[in-house]
Amino acid sequence: MNTLEEVGEFTQIFDALMSLMRKFLFRVLCVGPIPTNISFIMDGNRRFAKKHNLKGLDAGHRAGFISVKYILQYCKEIGVPYVTLYAFGMDNFKRGPEEVKCVMDLMLEKVELAIHQAVSGNLKGVRIIFAGDLNSLNERFRAAAQKLMELTEENRDLIVVVCVAYSTNLEIVHAVRKSCVKKCKNGDGAVVLEVSDVEGCMYTSAVPDPDLVIRTGGGDRLSNFMTWQTSRSLLHRTEALWPELGLWHLVWAILKFQRMQDCLQKKKKLD
Amino acid sequence: MDSNQSMRLLSSWIGQIGDLGLNLLWRFIHIVVSLWYIVSGISEAIESYAISLGLNKKYSSIDLEKLRCLAVVVDIEAVQDVAKVVELLQWLTTIGVKQVGLFDSQGLLKKSKDLILETVPGSMLLEEIGKDFSPDGKRIALEFISSSDNKEAVMKAANILLQRYLKSSHPENDQGENFFTESHLNEALGVVGENVHVPDLLLVYGPIRSHLGFPAWRLRYTEIVHMGTLKYMRYGSLLKAIHKFTGVHQNYGT
Repeated sequence: MNTLEEVGEFTQIFDALMSLMRKFLFRVLCVGPIPTNISFIMDGNRRFAKKHNLKGLDAGHRAGFISVKYILQYCKEIGVPYVTLYAFGMDNFKRGPEEVKCVMDLMLEKVELAIHQAVSGNLKGVRIIFAGDLNSLNERFRAAAQKLMELTEENRDLIVVVCVAYSTNLEIVHAVRKSCVKKCKNGDGAVVLEVSDVEGCMYTSAVPDPDLVIRTGGGDRLSNFMTWQTSRSLLHRTEALWPELGLWHLVWAILKFQRMQDCLQKKKKLD
Repeated sequence: MDSNQSMRLLSSWIGQIGDLGLNLLWRFIHIVVSLWYIVSGISEAIESYAISLGLNKKYSSIDLEKLRCLAVVVDIEAVQDVAKVVELLQWLTTIGVKQVGLFDSQGLLKKSKDLILETVPGSMLLEEIGKDFSPDGKRIALEFISSSDNKEAVMKAANILLQRYLKSSHPENDQGENFFTESHLNEALGVVGENVHVPDLLLVYGPIRSHLGFPAWRLRYTEIVHMGTLKYMRYGSLLKAIHKFTGVHQNYGT
């Protein structure tokens, strides 16, 4: 057996061992309560690219996609039912047109790859939902996103909401508009809007409110992300840039969530 | 039959021992995490006292130009202690903060509004001052906010827009784009008496880092800092949080 084959075999054994240890760690973590919906504000891709001298406008975002894959895998293994990803905000459209195009092209590339995986049965029970003003995106992306949502509609192991062309203010305005127009069309008796009418029309209405929001990149703000839905969420921040977010960051955030459970439950009961 | 029963009993015992082992390991991990938080808390307390004593020159003067509006979220259990809230406001006045929004989800601070305004020197209600008036010297404008200013307020504003839409003449397949925009909702919120200004900094006094239902419409790019419980609040930590905010650079998504 030559050196390359030995190294390959060693890597396989090492990977298998790491996977076993990770599953054991998750088994221990699951003794306590696990968040139903974890939201991620994925900040820091550009700083990561600058830090590591990566060339190309999308270099940091490509590194960020690798992180997305791992985090979704870990969440699925832990048994988190819903994950929400803040992928592209409405304010991000104010970036340079070249950068916006680069990011959109990269997202389209990943969506098309996911379609291919869904068709070949490799998406392993993951349902993808796109939330946001999809009409403001180019037709090709819209069509691809729609196709991916249809292909994965029946999957239930992990539901991933990808917020694209999203902002809380836009979501609230859209929900108010849609629910008002709906009320007018139904129009029987007194026409009064309730909170449930508006919440039913929100972009993220398909999933429960997040229990845990993790923001990477060291920022202390929500950046116009789900401020309506996060009244009772634990907001966790980490200095790690999004492409640096790994297993231990996620475990630490969940441990913090478990520590705060009594307080979080008390707050929910007050509603 | 007996051997099957014995096997089932044995696997049940092994399962229970396994679960007990996992449980103990989970509790041990949480003990380690708690110890980490205790050590971290002690370190923060020491740093805070050093800042309060003026040992760190970095915090001796703070440029508050960026901090036009500060919001404070107080956890429901801490709100009972109005004296602590008054002390916090006095600290903020000393630091030079001019405008503070005080939020608690149940509106208990709103009920104690008169007591707070009487006890905090130089304080006045934000809604009673004109738009062009800026508090000078050791004066501070206060706003009292609760959960009724969050979703309920948006619903009141939405219903105003709905009534306008109903009274207007519009085509049957109209989707309301001309009646329901961000500026329309802002205006309607103003009609129902809501302040739509976005606070620059939100300090959370409570056991967990959560905005606890602060008006969602106003939280867009607000920096949210967890200060710990109100009972153990420290002047040095407050100075540090405000100083850190003045150094933050936001790109607002660009």
